[in-house]
Amino acid sequence: MSLLEIKNVSKIYGELKALDNVSIHVDQGEWVAIMGPSGSGKSTMMNIIGCMDKPTMGEVLLDGVDIAKESSKRLTDIRRDKIGLIFQQFHMVNYLTAVENVMVSQYYHSMPDEEEALEALGRVGLRERARHLPSQLSGGEQQRVCVARALINHPELILADEPTGNLDEANENIVLDLFRQLHREGTTLIVVTHDPEVADAAQRTIVLEHGKLVKEVINEHFEA
Amino acid sequence: MKKRVLPLVILCLSVLIAVGSQTFLSPCVHEDGSFGACHWAGQAMLGLGCLTAVMGLLLLFRPGSRSGLFIAAAAAGVLGTLIPGTLIALCSMSAMRCRAIMQPAMTLLCCLVILAAAAGLILEERKGGRKP
Amino acid sequence: MSAAGLPFKNLTRKPGRTWALVLLTAFLSLSLFAGSVVVMSLQSGLRSLEARLGADIIVVPAAAKTKTDFQNILLQGTTGAFYMDAGLLDQIAAAEGVEKAAPQTFLATLKADCCSSRLQVIGIDQQADFTVQPWIAQSSSRELGPLEVAVGSDISAGVGDTLRIYRQSCPVVARLSPTGTGLDTAVYCSMETMKTLLEAAEEMGVSHKVTSDNAEEVISAVYVKVAEGASVDQVATSLMSHPRWKVAVVQTRSMITDVSDGLAGVASAVKVLIGAVWALSFVILLVVFALLTNERKREFAVLRLIGASRRSLRRLILTETGLVCLLGGCLGIAVGAAVIFLFTALIESALGLPYLTPDGGKIALVAVLSLLGTALMGALASARTAWHLSRVDTGSILREGN
Repeated sequence: MSLLEIKNVSKIYGELKALDNVSIHVDQGEWVAIMGPSGSGKSTMMNIIGCMDKPTMGEVLLDGVDIAKESSKRLTDIRRDKIGLIFQQFHMVNYLTAVENVMVSQYYHSMPDEEEALEALGRVGLRERARHLPSQLSGGEQQRVCVARALINHPELILADEPTGNLDEANENIVLDLFRQLHREGTTLIVVTHDPEVADAAQRTIVLEHGKLVKEVINEHFEA
Repeated sequence: MKKRVLPLVILCLSVLIAVGSQTFLSPCVHEDGSFGACHWAGQAMLGLGCLTAVMGLLLLFRPGSRSGLFIAAAAAGVLGTLIPGTLIALCSMSAMRCRAIMQPAMTLLCCLVILAAAAGLILEERKGGRKP
Repeated sequence: MSAAGLPFKNLTRKPGRTWALVLLTAFLSLSLFAGSVVVMSLQSGLRSLEARLGADIIVVPAAAKTKTDFQNILLQGTTGAFYMDAGLLDQIAAAEGVEKAAPQTFLATLKADCCSSRLQVIGIDQQADFTVQPWIAQSSSRELGPLEVAVGSDISAGVGDTLRIYRQSCPVVARLSPTGTGLDTAVYCSMETMKTLLEAAEEMGVSHKVTSDNAEEVISAVYVKVAEGASVDQVATSLMSHPRWKVAVVQTRSMITDVSDGLAGVASAVKVLIGAVWALSFVILLVVFALLTNERKREFAVLRLIGASRRSLRRLILTETGLVCLLGGCLGIAVGAAVIFLFTALIESALGLPYLTPDGGKIALVAVLSLLGTALMGALASARTAWHLSRVDTGSILREGN
């Protein structure tokens, strides 16, 4: 069953075609990497899937709903209910502690539950650091808090933009291991990256160039 | 650094009370060399200001017994609000210097001492509670 | 963590910024509250002066400075005494256009030491008087007996105390309600008591004789009510121009006009001051919030992407501003109230105008309005920020630097 169905999507900024008639489909529970050099349109793709932008043309069906046609208020709801976002630059709220950052996400979704938030931090190995402010955490730790925040509301889709771009190898492995766990639990993962190693961890890799889909590779050695 | 702010506030207020009671907040202008009750109220405030100044100095430079010193400073502040007017009578006319200037100014300064001491005490107790 | 938790946390984790904003808003509410209370006090002082004067014309001896002295006694509570022949009273009462005439006799006590200031003693004719008597009646139901006195509210003696005036023991039988005028610093007694006191003063070498005449009895002022239909100006002119009386007249209307002119001057100065503080604060607040917009773009983008709606972001900013305004507003009002109420006597003497603090209900109303005004100002200043921030382009901000 497909969770995400992108049909003939184009995004045009003036003269520039950031996405040019791209069609992708992602199944429920699948782990897909989107690769490409900068300017290839992967950021635009990420924005559209993440309900932060709308395509100029085409359909984007997320769980059967065409998000290209929804109002921005509905998009906020959809993003909140279905998608967990992870960015390259961590993006924590800097005056809140780790556990509070996770709880804000719960608050906007439903009800803050400190026990559950602490459990999520436990999953990323940061239960001990729950009361620390972002400035007291290393980059890798901040990114792990963001992973905990992304998964706290049990989203159907985790959308990660260069999640390991600013991390050392050890932390990169921790994050990738977390992704493997999530995948085993049935969460759909879409990871935008230019790092072949990160892409290799996924089941399938989609390669974009100049806004066009140029290649699709199934990872033969994928181990769940 | 943070521990020093409130003691410093108390010290400054004390100096204001002590110096003020003899100068710009003094109860009377002596034209004829006679002293009324309000003059002695001013003298009492001089003493009280010196007392709270010592408490401020102890809080600043001597570790320990901080809670006790804050309580004592607050109590001295209460005494200070009572000296002019209640414990020592002032002049009969409300427009006179002792009642128009000294009494309200001393009440204000002493209330600030009480507030600063209470805040200090609360912080002190909370800190104590966190790491017993 | 609750809906209020987030703005509260932001404020507590940035104490420097928060306190700066709180102090600024405290200035706003302080200026509004203190300024309004001062102006209101002056207004009720003026009303109370009007009520207490109650006469159209006051006749005083024609000596050079008596008119000024008399006004200072009424307005500023200074002491003074001047005399004319008591026989003039009947003649004035009989003059054309005069409906009522009531005498008052003044006596200033001596200054014994630093703490006993000179008191203004005012003797009234309890049968004829129509200005002070109704005021005394508010505090005491019976007439003042021999040597009994009523004291103004600025004198600290209470009922049951005894005042020593020229070696006479005068029991205080009433304390009068405050008027905000110089009348509050005076001591009132009957004409009979005044006679006794004048004699006692004479024994101690304080003369109260009218120098030119050889009058048996003296009075200091005559309060005149002009008859219905007669012109106050004409009556005043005819009293003043009488060849043998040698009197000056004070028209209460012009005195009240003087006071209300003074009040208008103070009120407009206060208004300019409040306006300046508010304009300046508004500009500062706008700048501060504009700077914050930039600084907090990223934070709001993060909140947007974890599911905050635009509305909830606007609410977040307005709640933060609201908390700051509430704290600052209350602080400003507390400081304003402390200064205004503690230093009433000082303000009164500095302004030199009748100054009567309004009652608690009115002051509470002013406090609430000042708080609302401050909150409104904060909301206005942050509205632009709220609007901008709730409209941030989430994707582009969060991907900056990629």
